[in-house]
Amino acid sequence: MTAAIEVRNLVKRFGGLVATNNLSFDLDEGESLGLIGPNGAGKTTVFAQIMGELAQTSGTIRFKGQEISGLSTSERISRGISRTYQVPRPFTELTVRENIRVGLMPNNIRQLVFGATDRVQEERFAESVGFNLRNLDRSAAELSMGDLRKLEFARTLATGAKTLLLDEIFAGLTTGEIAMIADLIKQLRRQGFTFLIVSHDLPAITPLVDRVIAIELGALLAEGTMSEVLANEDVRASYLGES
Amino acid sequence: MELRQRHLAFWAIFIVGLYLMPELVSKGTLRTMIFACYLAIFAVSWDLLSGRTGYISFGHPFLIGIGAYTTAILTKRFDVAVEISIPIAVLVTMIGGLVVLLPALRIKGSYFALVTLAFMELMYQLVQVIRPDLTGGTRGMSGIETLTRGAVNGYYLAVTLMVILTFAAWLLMRTRLGTALWAVGMNEESVRGSGLSSTKLKMFAFLASAFTAGIGGAFYVHYLGSIAPRALFDINFLFTILVAALIGGAGSIIGPVFGAFFLVFLLEWLRPWLPGAERYFIYGGIALLVYMYQPKGMVAILESLYSRFWRARS
Repeated sequence: MTAAIEVRNLVKRFGGLVATNNLSFDLDEGESLGLIGPNGAGKTTVFAQIMGELAQTSGTIRFKGQEISGLSTSERISRGISRTYQVPRPFTELTVRENIRVGLMPNNIRQLVFGATDRVQEERFAESVGFNLRNLDRSAAELSMGDLRKLEFARTLATGAKTLLLDEIFAGLTTGEIAMIADLIKQLRRQGFTFLIVSHDLPAITPLVDRVIAIELGALLAEGTMSEVLANEDVRASYLGES
Repeated sequence: MELRQRHLAFWAIFIVGLYLMPELVSKGTLRTMIFACYLAIFAVSWDLLSGRTGYISFGHPFLIGIGAYTTAILTKRFDVAVEISIPIAVLVTMIGGLVVLLPALRIKGSYFALVTLAFMELMYQLVQVIRPDLTGGTRGMSGIETLTRGAVNGYYLAVTLMVILTFAAWLLMRTRLGTALWAVGMNEESVRGSGLSSTKLKMFAFLASAFTAGIGGAFYVHYLGSIAPRALFDINFLFTILVAALIGGAGSIIGPVFGAFFLVFLLEWLRPWLPGAERYFIYGGIALLVYMYQPKGMVAILESLYSRFWRARS
């Protein structure tokens, strides 16, 4: 299987703090990989480096065989990787529809001026994450945390990327909403999407991932299926607090 | 009548009303309206940049000054025809817009605002010190070629420029680009995270703003026939632009036009009682009140009154 993302010897230092410590892993195309670890393990920092929001200190990140370390975030998204954020970042003064519209926008000024908005696509992405079409003209500032997460997922999908990094996508969602997003992820996987999922909700992500990597202090702790990783003594000690 | 048709009818009446003004008001009032039109152009120019993207510029007279000085120097010192000097002035102002963009690639908020203020101050000092034989130094320049004769023609030119530039900016902001620029003002990281280059978007906003400021500055100097650095780079002139945009409704494009007319007429109305700079205290107070009552400005108040009126009728 071809690797969608290949991370090799990734290191990120903030002064004396090593946030990512010689981390290497592969994410195959069409695969769903879980990234777990205790708070402060450096999971979000890994996401930020893959998306180019933070420059790594050393190491390489390849996407579909090509080094992407020198590319901007928007260039990486146009190549096909996108992410959601642990704390949703909506455009609060825009409506739900307009937020999704931003995700659908081409990175080209001429097309932004002369191209038409695609309301059908906007509605399709909104519906896919569970928005009622009657709520599309609501301001994002009025949304609950659960709705903000759904909005962020819709906007991320709208970018057209097929490799998605989901950061705590289930946080703040109700049981019903978790089931709906989980169904959507399964459906997208059937369509060939690739996922790297960070979540503290292990029961929720277990059926969604093929493999899991556990990290602590930015370094790889264990790799394998969810049951293998959770059986690992180091993981149990660091992540589950068992000695 | 549908809402869209009502809007169109309102704007058609408003524009026709503007063109009928020379038949209805005195020459003195027309001159006040000419200044209001140019102030509206400057406020719309500021709004294209700061109202949309959230990059608050305190140095807008820097851009207006580039446009005004370039065409003034070209026509007065080098006998270049106005038809050529104005496009050159607009181009040079756009280059100035790129210079202002540079700090915006690194800083935002109050730091950016202070850097732009420094640009204005720098320009003020430069035109006085560097080559005063060209710029006229502290006294500025007079005897610059004018494009029109008399208040009526000057008014028609100013109002036409204002209507065209405002309408073009309004149309532009109704496209997806306008939404993207709003989004930059709300959360630039999310814009990048949505696959858009915020640098490209900011560059467009800065260029569009500089284009408008350049046209406004160039035509204004050819209306006045003179240029004085102390007036152009006066902090009160800067605040008049900012307050016009803010009380009119920053980010709305149309709001700054209302704000400009409101402010200019307010200042004129206050002149008999308060002939000096103390008038600015009054408008500062009014701006504060409007801002406290409705932070989205007069345009939001007018929209709310307008929809209440139609609801009451129906």
